[in-house]
Amino acid sequence: MDEDFERLFKRIKEIERNLREYIEDEFRRAIGKFREDMMHIEGMLAPMWHYEGYLRPLYSIVDKGSYYEIYIDLPKADEQSIDIRFRGNMMYVRARLKEEIGFSGLSGRGGETKFHEYREVVELPFNIDPQKVRVVAKRGFVKVLIYK
Amino acid sequence: MLEIYREEWIGDFVILEYKPIELQRPSYAIISLPDTGLVGVISAWHIIKTLQLSEVGGVDSYVYLPPIVVVSNKIMRTPIRVFSGSNILVIYSEFMPAQQGLLHLSKILANYLERKGIDYVLLPSGVPIQNRFEVENLKTYYLTTTSKALELLKDTDILPFENGLLAGTYALLLKEFSRAKLNTILLLTESFLEFPDPEASAKNINIISKIIGRSIDVKELLEQAEAIRLKARDAMKNTLRGLAQMRKDVEYAVPLYT
Repeated sequence: MDEDFERLFKRIKEIERNLREYIEDEFRRAIGKFREDMMHIEGMLAPMWHYEGYLRPLYSIVDKGSYYEIYIDLPKADEQSIDIRFRGNMMYVRARLKEEIGFSGLSGRGGETKFHEYREVVELPFNIDPQKVRVVAKRGFVKVLIYK
Repeated sequence: MLEIYREEWIGDFVILEYKPIELQRPSYAIISLPDTGLVGVISAWHIIKTLQLSEVGGVDSYVYLPPIVVVSNKIMRTPIRVFSGSNILVIYSEFMPAQQGLLHLSKILANYLERKGIDYVLLPSGVPIQNRFEVENLKTYYLTTTSKALELLKDTDILPFENGLLAGTYALLLKEFSRAKLNTILLLTESFLEFPDPEASAKNINIISKIIGRSIDVKELLEQAEAIRLKARDAMKNTLRGLAQMRKDVEYAVPLYT
């Protein structure tokens, strides 16, 4: 009889653990999705330039298993001035433009603002060890490899 | 707004013509909608500029296109613009219609091009490759809907798209144009997925130039590649959400049965 109860309790505990893990997983997924949507909405509403004279570059992040591959598009940037720094899980990108650029001829938006550099802050899902990072710049693109 | 000569509502889309559109034969239509690396959009933009095509019409929708007015030289234009000159008609948009609207738009365009008596339709696009950062000699693949369209490619050195998956705007256009029996050529040049790729566009333009038998210089496009990438950042950013919704990532996948 005791053995039967023990088996039953063990089973109940197992179901309870599975249920808790399932709820935690679902909750984590929902928060992740919500965060992604919020970041997207934020990104959609944030212009790709700032009136103080900087541009925001396009970038992409791909999880390659043992490392992350980040590509940053920096057309017209002076390759010597590309400055990528890391703090915690943040990557800070700055690069001067080869020449000042204005949008006045292209669009009424942006007015007389002259742009002189790129600036971006990229949030990654883990803390970055700067010792485990490799940066390659070519043809106005930057490839950043961050080993996990 | 430009003066409207003809207005036609089809479902939730309206097609406007600012003057009668008469094309010489053989006539070619180039369709450029935002997709992989904005390859089609940049190709069409350069062709319009180089061949000095004039704006002859537009397409709009209050349901499937963002509530946008394009202002160019102080004049309001539709989000989808139509340009023509001699035997070329270009349908150009930097804005991606909502996914549900793409099917309607594909059907409407097929019907419109059929009624215009277009002989050939060219779809310049890109196919994403993971190592685009390293690759300098880009390959171009093609898909055609008819043997008549295939004939046009006999003097080119591009490769047939043998096996794989296509997703998104051009996949839908190709399906609808095939159903409408339009002689269609889809050009897929290796490109970035998420960054504007003028080099891939230049490769497409060189092939289009051979197909239509008109010289279109890409020297300026290549010299201005970085400036174009810089200008196209907003259009690319706006396109990315649509590409993700259309599961563009399946193009990297290998089909099980070929």
